Amino acid sequence: MYFDVGGKQVFATTGGKPFDNSKPTVIFLHGSGLDHTFWGLHSRFFAFRNYAVLVPDLPGHTNSEGPALTSIEAMGDWLNDVIEALDANDVSLVAHSQGCLVALEFASRYPDRLRSVSFIASGLATPVNDVLLNAAENDPEAAIAMMLGWGFGSAGHLHQGPIPGNSMVAGGRKVMRGNVPDALATDLKACNNYKNGVGAAEMVSGPIQVIVAGKDRMAPGKATTELIEHLSDPDVTVIARSGHMVPQEVPDQCRALLKAFIFSNNPAT
Amino acid sequence: MSRFLNFDTLSLHAGQVVDPEYGARAAPIYQTTSYVFPDTDTASSIFNLERGGHAYSRITNPTVGVLEQRIAALEGGSAAICTSSGMAATFCGITAILEQGDHIVASTQMYGGNISLMKNTLPRFGITTTFVDPTDTDGFRKAVQDNTKLIYGELIGNPGLDILDLEAIAKIGADHHIPVMIDATFNTPYLCRCFDYGANMTVHSVTKWMGGHGVAIGGAIVDGGNFDWGATDKYPTITEPYAPFTGINLWDEFGPSAFATRIRAEAMRDFGPSMSPMNAFLLLQGIETLSLRMDKHLSNTMDLLDYLSNHDQVSWVNHPSLPSHTSHELARKYLPKGAGSIVSFGVKGGREAGKAFIENVELASHLANVGDAKTLIIHPATTTHSRIDADALVAAGITEDMVRLSVGLEDVADIKADFENGFRAAKRITKK
Ligand SMILES: Cc1ncc(COP(=O)(O)O)c(C=O)c1O
Repeated sequence: MYFDVGGKQVFATTGGKPFDNSKPTVIFLHGSGLDHTFWGLHSRFFAFRNYAVLVPDLPGHTNSEGPALTSIEAMGDWLNDVIEALDANDVSLVAHSQGCLVALEFASRYPDRLRSVSFIASGLATPVNDVLLNAAENDPEAAIAMMLGWGFGSAGHLHQGPIPGNSMVAGGRKVMRGNVPDALATDLKACNNYKNGVGAAEMVSGPIQVIVAGKDRMAPGKATTELIEHLSDPDVTVIARSGHMVPQEVPDQCRALLKAFIFSNNPAT
Repeated sequence: MSRFLNFDTLSLHAGQVVDPEYGARAAPIYQTTSYVFPDTDTASSIFNLERGGHAYSRITNPTVGVLEQRIAALEGGSAAICTSSGMAATFCGITAILEQGDHIVASTQMYGGNISLMKNTLPRFGITTTFVDPTDTDGFRKAVQDNTKLIYGELIGNPGLDILDLEAIAKIGADHHIPVMIDATFNTPYLCRCFDYGANMTVHSVTKWMGGHGVAIGGAIVDGGNFDWGATDKYPTITEPYAPFTGINLWDEFGPSAFATRIRAEAMRDFGPSMSPMNAFLLLQGIETLSLRMDKHLSNTMDLLDYLSNHDQVSWVNHPSLPSHTSHELARKYLPKGAGSIVSFGVKGGREAGKAFIENVELASHLANVGDAKTLIIHPATTTHSRIDADALVAAGITEDMVRLSVGLEDVADIKADFENGFRAAKRITKK
């Protein structure tokens, strides 16, 4: 569906059911250069279990009007505007990668409607190396290859995804090709410039879940350890064999963890 | 792994998760119709497209899934669906997006089944086709109508072996928001990855070179994931709610694999042209050696082109690798490794000489197929096209002296020695 946020059109999928703000809400936040399709399987699961589901494209990504937002802080504010525009309630945030930084900013500043946060494959900061920053602006195909090459673990590289017939890597490539150079380059700069992780993490209250990928090359062990150290009492699970793209590489395990956590902390009737 | 794997590695490994129970290295044959659900929640999730998994082998099967993911990987497509035959793949691809009143622009030079489907069968269901000479690129643009929903062709045409100017055709499609579907049977992803040039879907008769051994019929349709279905309202089967799945909007939910998902959800369920697990296993064995086989097909082809071009019983030889072929430059662009292993040539002495040649070769098999490991020949004028008169033959690009050759993997010296017997017999006929 499309809706207006601050005079700009925002696109979001709703898991195949109309968005109904009388139900508890699950909002899924995608990572750099990606879009709503990243969460397809998970959004349907919650929508068909009586949740109001929202999977927005960040501004300037795929179907949402641009330009892309230039800082993580601005994305956190924008998320609050989205929630207010839809008058969504009892929000469980589920975030991946860059989306986790946005979730940190949002959760630390706008706790009112929040019931839980799930961080998947994230650190407290996401420094981006110069080669990738440069490629995102000047050689988008190379940037996409780096991100997907590092992002996916062996299941991605071997095209072993869990949906019969589908290649996760090729699907990701097509989505990212629609979001270069502007959205991807802006995302990566915003990640690289984000320095408020520690302060934000310490402000997040309420139930927190952290899902760590054992073979994550984008948010390596040290970065996730720091995140966990600064969060208050998070529920941490490591999925040993997954690369960074947890929701796609190991969707069944990821869903089981999200289900247990969200069903108990933000139950739908 | 952080580097993407190369073609030969993908041919061997893509799509397969090593069997967790016994560690079987080969992809097991899951010869089963159905699958036990661990609980009702999992079952409903699979039916509601909330998770991958298998319910019934008409829709998906683990062995077929390995083949599908391997073909998607080799093509660089976002998803592939395997079908019982190449024709089934084409039919499912077309019916996923076209309906009564819609129109196709297609090449005139295609496999007879493709032509017949579009010329005779689909019109009964209200879908019409305008056929355009594949060398007349602008003709494709001119043939586009308001109701055109698909551009279709074979990269290497049949029987003239003319090459489509794929990039130019893809641009015509993109300019009009019409997807371009390519029958890539003759090229395979080893010789050309059509998505790199802007095609939006490919279909394959994997019966042919992909399988390569001539033991299993099968098809595949690959979603390039690169068509923006949402840019117009012309494709409601992809962009409008699909009632049988609680009003799912495939474009919103599945993005780059929306087209493939439509085929899975509709065609495999309602038409049911599924590939058997046994055939998928056999075809996987073939794909493991695709590049090795194609290289040998091509080197034998080049050798035979030289032999035939210099043979005094041969009146003409047709292959895009020959500088004399009208598509030679396009072949160099799109098929730099080689333009496939189908060759046609004329036997001096016309219809009777062609017949005599065919009847006196022993190693080459006289049959109606292509892309086998074994060398195959046929004389279209006395077989596949025997019921049509000389004028219609010309219109189909077939001459009475024409022999079509599908070059196999035998020792090329043995193929030549075999052909010598055929040519001697043809010569005797001409002398009579
Ligand atoms: C180019 C081409 N496409 C499609 C087909 C149909 O494939 P199948 O026989 O697997 O149905 C063939 C079969 O000869 C073919 O040569």
